[in-house]
Amino acid sequence: MSQPKKVFSRRRVCRFCTEKDVTIDYKDSKSLRNFVTERGKIIPRRIYGTCAKHQRQLTEAVKRARQLALLPYMGATQF
Amino acid sequence: MRHYETTYILRPNLGEEQLTEIIDRTNAIVTNDGGSIICLDRWGVKRLAYEINKESQGYYVYLNYAAPGSTVNEIERIFKIDDKVLRFLTIKLGDAMNAEAIEAEKQRIAEKAAASVAQSEDAEVDEFDSETLEDESTED
Repeated sequence: MSQPKKVFSRRRVCRFCTEKDVTIDYKDSKSLRNFVTERGKIIPRRIYGTCAKHQRQLTEAVKRARQLALLPYMGATQF
Repeated sequence: MRHYETTYILRPNLGEEQLTEIIDRTNAIVTNDGGSIICLDRWGVKRLAYEINKESQGYYVYLNYAAPGSTVNEIERIFKIDDKVLRFLTIKLGDAMNAEAIEAEKQRIAEKAAASVAQSEDAEVDEFDSETLEDESTED
């Protein structure tokens, strides 16, 4: 029984909740790049463990940054 | 009066005169409608993440202002007509804005600018990478 529980305890907490001074801003493309894949997809929250509220804000920010061509819609890497 | 911010991208090859003309014209729309400009920031020429109208670079201008909603309509109408403007994005930051709030916002932006200058002087550390490394080491 203790084995599967350990898997759950490893779950990370949302970094925007723990670090209050980190804000989500669509103009800050440098830090938003951490939350998209090389191909420009938004990384799901099950990977980084961001909470629902902040993941929503993050998604909004990434989409705004895409409109302003700060982030790519797709395909930053070349074949 | 509401609080808005607009970021727009101009063609990079316009030359200083035309850039200033467009920026001044946009600012004039805000002030003529009884609004006030809180912050105007020229980010300068940046590489676009993807091509817009065959341009791979763009001149970014960021404008933070308090104005009635009709002003935004007017600004966006002009932007749509003008083909020197590649892209624009307006975000509503707050519903109500009075003179006091405008002053507070100006101060906040000034403080933030001062902080970012101080920060850029420090050595740039990739915060995210170091954190994930830490996490992994604690898991063992």
